[in-house]
Amino acid sequence: MPKVTINDRTVEVEAGTNLIEAGLKVGVQVPHYCYHPRLSVVGQCRMCLVKVEGMPKLQTACSTQVMKDGMVVRTDVPEVAEAQKGMMEFFLINHPLDCPICDQAGECGLQDYSFKHGVPYSRFDYEDKRTYPGRERIPLGANVVLNMNRCIQCTRCIRFTQEVAGTGELGFFNRGARVEIGTFPGKELSNPLATCVVDICPVGALTSTRFRFAERVWYLDKKPSLCTGCEVGCNITMEHRRGDIKRYKPRFNVEVNDYWMCDYGRASFERYKSVPRLTSPRVRAEGGNGHSPVVASSWKDSLDTVLRRLQGAKDQGEIAFLGSGFLTCEEAYLFGKLADAVGADHRSVPVDIGPERTIPNLKGGITGREMAPNRRGAELAGFGSSDGTALGSDELLLGGAERCSALIVCDSDFSSVAYSQETVERLRRAKFLVVFGWADSPLAQVADVVLPVAHHGEKDGTFVNVEWRVQKFMSAFPAPGQVRTTLEVLSDLLSRLDPSWASLSPGAVFDRLAAEVPAFAGLSWKRLPATGEPLNVPGTHVRIPEPAADAVPEVAS
Amino acid sequence: MAAFERVLTRNVGKPEALTLKGYRQGGGYEALAKALAMDPDAVIEEVKKSGLRGRGGAGFAAGLKWSFIPKSKDKDKPLTKYLVCNADESEPGTFKDRLLMEYDPHQLIEGCAICCWAVQAATCYIYIRGEYTKAASILEQALKDAYEGGILGDSVMGSGFKLNMYVHRGAGAYICGEETGMLESLEGKRGQPRVKPPFPAVVGAFGQPTVINNVETLCNVPHILTRGADWFKGIGTDEKNTGPKLYAISGHVERPGTYEYPIGVTFRELLEGAGGMLKGRPLKAFIPGGASAPVLKADMIDVKMDFDSVAKAGSMLGSAAVIVMDDTTCMVRSAARLAKFFNHESCGQCTPCREGTNWMELVLKRIEHGEGSERDGQLLLSICRNIGGQSLCALGDAAIGPVKSLVDRFSEEIEQHVRDRACPFPKRRFFDSN
Repeated sequence: MPKVTINDRTVEVEAGTNLIEAGLKVGVQVPHYCYHPRLSVVGQCRMCLVKVEGMPKLQTACSTQVMKDGMVVRTDVPEVAEAQKGMMEFFLINHPLDCPICDQAGECGLQDYSFKHGVPYSRFDYEDKRTYPGRERIPLGANVVLNMNRCIQCTRCIRFTQEVAGTGELGFFNRGARVEIGTFPGKELSNPLATCVVDICPVGALTSTRFRFAERVWYLDKKPSLCTGCEVGCNITMEHRRGDIKRYKPRFNVEVNDYWMCDYGRASFERYKSVPRLTSPRVRAEGGNGHSPVVASSWKDSLDTVLRRLQGAKDQGEIAFLGSGFLTCEEAYLFGKLADAVGADHRSVPVDIGPERTIPNLKGGITGREMAPNRRGAELAGFGSSDGTALGSDELLLGGAERCSALIVCDSDFSSVAYSQETVERLRRAKFLVVFGWADSPLAQVADVVLPVAHHGEKDGTFVNVEWRVQKFMSAFPAPGQVRTTLEVLSDLLSRLDPSWASLSPGAVFDRLAAEVPAFAGLSWKRLPATGEPLNVPGTHVRIPEPAADAVPEVAS
Repeated sequence: MAAFERVLTRNVGKPEALTLKGYRQGGGYEALAKALAMDPDAVIEEVKKSGLRGRGGAGFAAGLKWSFIPKSKDKDKPLTKYLVCNADESEPGTFKDRLLMEYDPHQLIEGCAICCWAVQAATCYIYIRGEYTKAASILEQALKDAYEGGILGDSVMGSGFKLNMYVHRGAGAYICGEETGMLESLEGKRGQPRVKPPFPAVVGAFGQPTVINNVETLCNVPHILTRGADWFKGIGTDEKNTGPKLYAISGHVERPGTYEYPIGVTFRELLEGAGGMLKGRPLKAFIPGGASAPVLKADMIDVKMDFDSVAKAGSMLGSAAVIVMDDTTCMVRSAARLAKFFNHESCGQCTPCREGTNWMELVLKRIEHGEGSERDGQLLLSICRNIGGQSLCALGDAAIGPVKSLVDRFSEEIEQHVRDRACPFPKRRFFDSN
C-alpha cells in the first residue's frame, strides 16, 4: 500500500484513498463542504485545497488520490491558509449571516470554518447581497424546507437524491451566482430518506420541518441510541433537552444504517409525546371482574400484589406472558425467568408488520418490515415458543386470553392492537391482567395492575436487529417520577423468589444471558463493539464478518 | 510583410468548395487517403513533428494530446474512443472557426477523419455552438455528402475503417466550450465542467478515452499530411510556434474580420492588414486573445502574435481574437462588461468562480458609476488572487485576465473614476443600460 506524508506525518493507505480520508488517519482535518464519503466527488466547494509537492497549483484534497509512494502534502502552509481564507470570504459575502434565527447555528459548517479558517471582517461593504426573493422557506416535501439564501451550492443534497436515495428529485437550476437548488417540476422531495438531506446540508439551507425552530442545538443533550421504528435498528443520536426528545439523527454504523435513516424512524419518538404517559403504579381492587375502582399504589404494594396473585394463578388456569418487540434482550430474559418461576403456559412476542423500509448501506441495503426493534432478541432471550401446545400471539389476541387465569402484558404499547377496543376487551377476559408500560393505552386502563416503566430513551439494553446483529444502547436521560425500568421491576420481583436476582444492572443481566443462551455465547456487555455483533443463530441469514470469511464459523449445536 | 499563401482559408470565396466534388477538385481528401495508407502512429508522429499547437486557446501540442489516447490492447475487442471537435466558439471576439465551417466544411471533416484514424476512434462529434445555425446546416449537408461519397461510414474511402461523424448543437453556454463541460453537455447532462484528473484522454465522453480538438487545429491537419511536417514548421516564428493562424480582429479598426497570417505576425502588421485604426484614432489598448486574455497597452504594438511571445508580453494568444480599443474606450467599462460576461457564463458549481466573478462585476460597475473607493483596486487584485488557480475549471482564470490587467496596467484610470466620482469617457448606448 502506498505511503503518503501529510504535514510531516506518514501513513500507509490503500491506493485510491483521497487526501481528506488519508488526513483523518494522521489527525489532519482538511476542511470541506461538498465532499461526503458516500457521494461522488465533485470538487466544487474548493475548501479542501492543499499543497501537494510537485504540483504547480493547490489541489483539492477530495479529488486527489494517493496512488503511489512518495506523495508529500502540506495543509499548514500560508498559501493553503490564504486559499481557505479567500474561500470563506466567498462563501460569506452572499450568505445572509442570520445565525441568530437559523436552526443550523451551533452545528453549522460555515460557522465552524469561519471561526477556524476565516477572516473576522468583511470587505463586502458597498454591494447588496444576492438574495432569492420568495425562496426563503420553500417546502421541498413534507419534511424538508429550503432557504435558498443560506445555500452554499455544495450540491450534496442533489447528489444524495441521485446516488443514495436513487430518486433524483433535486436539481441545480440557473447559472453562476444565480444558481439554485430545487425540485424538478411536478416532483417533490418525498422519498423515504428525504430528511437525510438536512443532515448532510452543511449550512442552514435545508431544515427539517419537524425540528425547525424546536430548539437551539446547543441546548440539546446528544446520546447514542437506537431507532425503534422497525427491525433494522438504525443507530441514532437521541437529542433531547431535559428528557424532552427533540430529534433523532442517524449515527454512523457501517454495518447497519451507514450514515442514513428513514423519515419514518425519525418521527418515531413523537409517540413518546403524543401518547399519555403512565407515571405511577395502579392497582385495581380485587373482584368485580375488571370493573372495580383503580387506585394509585406504591411499587412495593403493587409488586406484592402481582407476585401473590401470580403464584395463586397456576391453580386457577393457564398463565400467559405477552411480550413485545420493544423489550430489550435483558428484559426478555428476566421475563423468561419469571415465566419459568410461575410456570407460565404461553409466551409469545406479537409484532405489527408494516411496509418494507430499506436503508441503503455498502452491502446493498438493509430492509425491515416488523415495526418493533427486537422481536428476534426477545424470542431468543426468553420468549421463544416452548412447544406446539402453547398459544401463539394471534390466538392469545383473538380470544385465547379467556382461558388464562393471569396475563402479563409488556408493554402497554406493544402493538397497534393495544388501542383497539375489541382486542383490549378480549385480553381483559383473563382473570388477572398485569400491564407493564410507559403508555397509558386503553389496555393499561383496563388492567388490574399497571406498572409504569421506562421507554427506550430511559434505559440501557440490547436489541437484535433483522440481520441478527445485537446492538447496545444506553439511556439518554433518567425516567421521570416513580417510573422504573422494566429491568429494575423484574429484578425486584425475581429477587423475592431468589435473592441472587437482586439489584442487577443491565450489563450483569446481559452477561448471564450470554452465558445461558447459545446464540449469545461468548459475548459480554463490556466488550460489545460499537457497531454491534452478529449473533450465531443457526438457520438464519446471519452475516459472517468479512475478515473471518475464510475461518470456519462456529455453529452452536 | 511578404505575400503569404493562404492555407486554411484557401477555399474562402470559392462556393464550389462547399460541395464534395468541388472540394475534391481542389485536392481535397487526398490527405485523408494518404493518412489511411499510413500507420496511425505514423500520423501522430507527423503531427507531433509539425509542432502544431491547439488553436482553441491553451496552445497544447496536438500530436502529444493524440498520443495520450490509450491503444486498444486486444485487436478483437477494440477500445471505444471518441473525437470531439470543439466548435463551441463562444469566446467574445472570436469568430474564426465559424468562417472555416461556413466556407470549407469538408476541410474540417477531413481533419476530423484523419484524427480519428490516428487515434483509432470510430465516432466523431462536432459540438457546435448553438447560435451557429448556418454553420451547423452547412456541416450537416457536408456530412451527408461525405457519407454518400464514401468518405464516411462503414468503410472510409474504401479502407475498411469505420467512422461515424455527427454534428451536435449546443444550447448557448460559454462553459460548454470548456472541454469537460462540453462532454457533460454532449452526454445530455447539465453543462458544467468535471473534476480533472481523470483527463478526457483517459475518461472522456461516455466514460471512454476522448480527444478534444478545436476546429482550426483539425483544419490544419490535412495540410500537414499533404505538404509534410517540414513545410508546416517552415511557417511561423520558431520551433514552438508553427503554421498558419487565423486572427479574428474586431473593435476600433477599419476592416474587422478574420485574417490568415503565419503565426507570429506582429500586431502592427495585423492592424495594418485590417486597414488601421478606425478613423485614424490612436490605439489605446488591445486584447490579443479573446475576452479572457489580459489587456495589453498600446506600447506592445510590436508584439509577435504567437503563443510564447504574447505570453512573454503579459497576456495570452488564446483563440487569437484580437479586440482593438482606441482612446475613447473606458477601460473600466470594458473590464466591467467582460466581468459581466464571465459572471453570466459561470456555471455556478465552484465557489471562487461563482462568487468571485459576481463580486468583481459589482465592484467594477460601482467604480464605473463613480461610486468606487481608493481600496477597490487592491480589493479587485485580492479577489483575482483568490480565484486564480483555485477554481474548478479554467473559466475562473479566464475571468480574472481582463480585471487583473485593468488594475495592473490602467490603475490611473480607476483612480480617475474614483477621484471624479464619474466616468470621464463619453457614454455609449450599449452598456449604459446595464
